[in-house]
Amino acid sequence: MALTPSDELRDARATLLAGGLEPAQLRQGFSDAADGWFTARVGDTNGVAVVAVGGYGRRELTPGSDLDVVLVHDNVASVKEIADGLWYPIWDAGVALDHSVRTVDEAASVAREDLKAMLGLLDARHVAGDPALTTRLREQVLGAWRRDARKRLPELAAAVRERGERNGELAFLLEPDLKECRGGLRDVHAMTAAAAAWVTDAPGERVRTAAATLLDVRVALHQRAQRSGRPSDRLVLQEQAPVAQALGLTDPDLLMREVYEAARTIAFASDLTWRRVEAALRPPRRSRPGLFRSVAPSRRPLADDVVEQDGEVVLARDADPAGDPVLLLRVAAAAAQSDLPIAPHTLDRLAAAPAMPEPWPPSAVDELVSLLGAGSAVVHVVEALDQAGLFSRLFPEWDKVRCKPQRNAVHRFTVDRHLVEAVAEAGSLTRRVSRPDLLLLGALLHDIGKGYPGDHTEAGVEIVPVIGRRLGLAAHDIGVLMALVHHHLLLPDTATRRDIDDPATVALVTSAVRDRATLELLHALTEADALATGPAAWGEWKARLVDALVARAAAALAGEPPPQPERLDERQLALAERGELAIDVEGERVTVVAPDRPGLLWRWAGVLSLHRLAIRSATATSIGATAVTVFEVSPRFGSPPDWSVVRADLRRAYDDALAIADALAERERAYARGTPTVVPARVLWMDDASTSATVLEVRAHDRIGLLYRLTRTLADAGLDVRSARMTTLGAEVVDAFYVADDTGGLVTDPALRARVEEALLAACRTGQ
Amino acid sequence: MKLVTAIVKPFKLDDVKQTLHDLGVAGMTVSEVQGHGRQRGHTEVYRGAEYVVDFVPKVRLEVVVDDDAAQRVVDAIVDAARTGQIGDGKVWTTAVQDLVRIRTGERGPDAL
Repeated sequence: MALTPSDELRDARATLLAGGLEPAQLRQGFSDAADGWFTARVGDTNGVAVVAVGGYGRRELTPGSDLDVVLVHDNVASVKEIADGLWYPIWDAGVALDHSVRTVDEAASVAREDLKAMLGLLDARHVAGDPALTTRLREQVLGAWRRDARKRLPELAAAVRERGERNGELAFLLEPDLKECRGGLRDVHAMTAAAAAWVTDAPGERVRTAAATLLDVRVALHQRAQRSGRPSDRLVLQEQAPVAQALGLTDPDLLMREVYEAARTIAFASDLTWRRVEAALRPPRRSRPGLFRSVAPSRRPLADDVVEQDGEVVLARDADPAGDPVLLLRVAAAAAQSDLPIAPHTLDRLAAAPAMPEPWPPSAVDELVSLLGAGSAVVHVVEALDQAGLFSRLFPEWDKVRCKPQRNAVHRFTVDRHLVEAVAEAGSLTRRVSRPDLLLLGALLHDIGKGYPGDHTEAGVEIVPVIGRRLGLAAHDIGVLMALVHHHLLLPDTATRRDIDDPATVALVTSAVRDRATLELLHALTEADALATGPAAWGEWKARLVDALVARAAAALAGEPPPQPERLDERQLALAERGELAIDVEGERVTVVAPDRPGLLWRWAGVLSLHRLAIRSATATSIGATAVTVFEVSPRFGSPPDWSVVRADLRRAYDDALAIADALAERERAYARGTPTVVPARVLWMDDASTSATVLEVRAHDRIGLLYRLTRTLADAGLDVRSARMTTLGAEVVDAFYVADDTGGLVTDPALRARVEEALLAACRTGQ
Repeated sequence: MKLVTAIVKPFKLDDVKQTLHDLGVAGMTVSEVQGHGRQRGHTEVYRGAEYVVDFVPKVRLEVVVDDDAAQRVVDAIVDAARTGQIGDGKVWTTAVQDLVRIRTGERGPDAL
């Protein structure tokens, strides 16, 4: 008995499915089988053409995908019969069909109205019939797409964004949809469409490989569905093991890692593509006559050798990536702090950077902390570094947790992203602790042990000192980090499972966390960790239990001894002995000695800021009637200042012959950058820290001239700064001032305190 | 059938759960809740600032049991959850008119 057309199609597909083919061969085979079948029906009939569109046009047919076909015709009378002769057998064969019958003009006009139809037609491929018709269709469709790009591409960009928001991010979902999620196959098609409009480059090799990975998984998933029912693109938990096996992977975790990596590559490339599209379609800044008149791009300095250009972070012209190991972190910190993307060619150039010397230079740790402290912006910057393979150069341990799935319903992210999200959350809690740098590093490393066998906190405690020594951290700081990693689950576990009113419960906490500073850090880390885990992990209920436990433990722990100014060395003492205005520079340490008078600190801080020096730390003490102030400074942009000019300016400032405020304001305007979201500053009165003076701590975001502003505010309020210790940790500062009132007494008057506090907070806000 | 509802201190949940398992109670619903009883919350001093805790975190536990098991279950919960301190919580029972297991459609005590 002769086979019916419907049987032919069904048999061809069944043979392919039974043939044990690789997923890629299967996709090709399905498309070829369909092509052959249409050719056998239509041949080279004049006046009609079978045009494959969408996935079929791209030869990406999977066992469950629709056959997308347009039957294009030239108003021939027989088109209805031809169509019936094609569609019915396909339906009878049980193959899903997405079909239409149109003239070239009709098809092109539908595409102009309907974005989805347009996207399908961009992949149009001639299968059978009159090739001239297909060629005309392609020319009209592509022509219209390129002509209307300015209007249609923003529509497509909005659709991509909206779809991503609706379906979630493929790289982090336990049961992701391979097609619809952000980072899924539709994002690849959208990128190809943008390239077809000649606005951006076509997706590169990495994206094509990633897309092929997702397609392979999709084929395996659909093959399973042939047996178990309706094909779906959602990779549900129960299918992950069999799909992994079908693809020759031993473990579903390996499958999910591959899927997540592919999705992240696609999502990153997609963001870049749409950024490029937006930039290309943006109307020129200044409309000048002449089409090809070039407009000089605006460049704005962000950090040493780092500038902003057209909304992206790029290297300065004379930057030297090959000779500057810290440049990578400086770029990353600048990008995060200004919430701007790093330009792709800059990432490429940074790949040439030499390995970071071990231990890291202090400026590298500083830039790292500044990157980590940027709040939510840290997420996209680390992702960019990671996509370029640069983040695991800094932290080789990162490869172990990269894209590692967490199989439980509470966790929303893979391990690596969870760590970065915890850092982002910690960024908004920096004012709660006296060591924001350790909070941020603790957040980055708290689950690093999940990449190693055994209990993850124990593994973490072994790895953290290795990383800490590589970063050149002080032994004490490494100890605190180890405690944070070791006990990062202590507070929530204890608060929810033990009686917090029982002294034994409090003792359990205080025996593990022995000082208030660590407790404070652990408390903030607990919250950041839980917030980054998922909505089920943190809420008011748990927060209250943890807060109550921390309050009890804090009461049981003694306060810290106050930070002491560092001792002066021989050289500085000799200078102080002479008692006259003098400045001594040794490396990055600047010592200023002068006969004491009110308001010295703000004068010095102001002058140093005017000379483009960032003040990393400062301590002020007095020996008899001589005030000694020691600063650690680093030039904000490259080369150090001419110290003889600095000296002259200090003298003028001492004699009130320098208008510091005006000059600083001008400098500030020149470097004004819209810092994205800055956590509001905080002022704390540390009443148990000292008996001879009142200790005041200011925690704030660093800016040009901040120290000047704070010390000036204190002086204006009539307070005398006896000594001070200021530290800049990344982009955050923690400044402790030992102050006395005008009679030399403690500052206890609540009204005065409130005034000072308000003035200091206002000083932190100015210029933002 | 009776619905037994208990409000207990969070750290007592594991003990209560174990006791109910030992009594053969198959399922339960647990939720995180906040509230106060006679104690009306309390005042805490935290980071130098005094603040009133008007609602205290508790766990709410619900089980539906047969009439003749209800008293035993209540006693067991009380035993397991008592610390003797203020804020130990409460247990109460409510009559249940009807009960359906959604999957099978079983009704009444069969659905327990």
